[in-house]
Amino acid sequence: MDPSQVDIYSFANEKEIARSFSKRFQWEMVLIGLGQATVFLSLWPLVILNIIPLWIAAPISCLCALFAYLPSHEAQHGNYSRGNADKRWIDSLVSHITLIPLMFPHHIMRATHMKHHAYTNDPHKDVDYDTASSNSLLEVFLRSNESTAKYDKYLEVFKDDKNFVKSFEKGGLVGLAYRSTLMTLVIFFPLEALFLWWLPSKVGVMYLSTFFSWYPHYQMETGRYKDTRFWHHLLPRYVNHSMQLHFVHHLHPGIGHFDEPKAIEALKPFLIEKGVPGADQIPDRVSYNPLIKF
Amino acid sequence: MNTIITPLINHIKAWNMVWFGLIFWGSVLNAFAGELGLLTNNPDLSYLFFLLGLILGLTAKFRGTWLWIPAK
Repeated sequence: MDPSQVDIYSFANEKEIARSFSKRFQWEMVLIGLGQATVFLSLWPLVILNIIPLWIAAPISCLCALFAYLPSHEAQHGNYSRGNADKRWIDSLVSHITLIPLMFPHHIMRATHMKHHAYTNDPHKDVDYDTASSNSLLEVFLRSNESTAKYDKYLEVFKDDKNFVKSFEKGGLVGLAYRSTLMTLVIFFPLEALFLWWLPSKVGVMYLSTFFSWYPHYQMETGRYKDTRFWHHLLPRYVNHSMQLHFVHHLHPGIGHFDEPKAIEALKPFLIEKGVPGADQIPDRVSYNPLIKF
Repeated sequence: MNTIITPLINHIKAWNMVWFGLIFWGSVLNAFAGELGLLTNNPDLSYLFFLLGLILGLTAKFRGTWLWIPAK
């Protein structure tokens, strides 16, 4: 290879380009996170007071659950505060609130997600390896039923990481609060608890496991440019939260979700050069729906 | 505080599925029975549905997972 090319595709250059897409405040995510949680919480009085029927509220609640994770995901990476300690409360606030429909504790999600990034596809240390290594969608659905309880075994794996253990303890209390709230609600409003919260949370987790874990990491190796792939899907990009583009998030987690398409366009030559699986199929222009492949 | 919270958390971790079966599934099954009119003439049937919930929970505890998920 020509020595000048090595310089062009250096990690420093790649990082510099990525950094230019890692500055904008993701206000859309704040809006989605707080908005869907508001809708989700509003459904309860609306149904209990018979203003809207349960059969209409239940699918709306499921939709809320589908939108619940990504705003927290940005917060887990500190993408709202972007290193500014005075703005860290935004990360915390958005993440705690948006995760309500999924009944996920923010501290546990953040701690385990950082481990997922550090050890992607490592059978012993990747907290989401069970999903990524599933052999079928049915297996993904069945495994996702465990919800955050599946992370308990990683307390032993990372027992020497004090921050991880501490986050787990904090999150455990939030999880306990979720569980107690659900158990209290089910006594007074059994069908509402089932169809407005329990079932939507399961739908949300299955959706997450499928599009955020399984498709991007299925049959991938370990290593920076090899652990996540660019993949195609019959559905439009917004249906799966653009998770076809998930590999760029693993390379540069600071890039805001809504800036990933532009970042990928700019980084495409680097991705091809580094051998990111499927990078050669990335369209030159990533529009809203360019990734359909029949 | 820890003398209360730690044993409570340990108890919940160990018996979580049983309580969930009894309270959550028991309440849900009972509500479905009510919707289907099964409790109209026989309100005592409620006990049966909570018992069913408890059995679901106990089975899950000793099986390691809920009935609708294949055992590990």
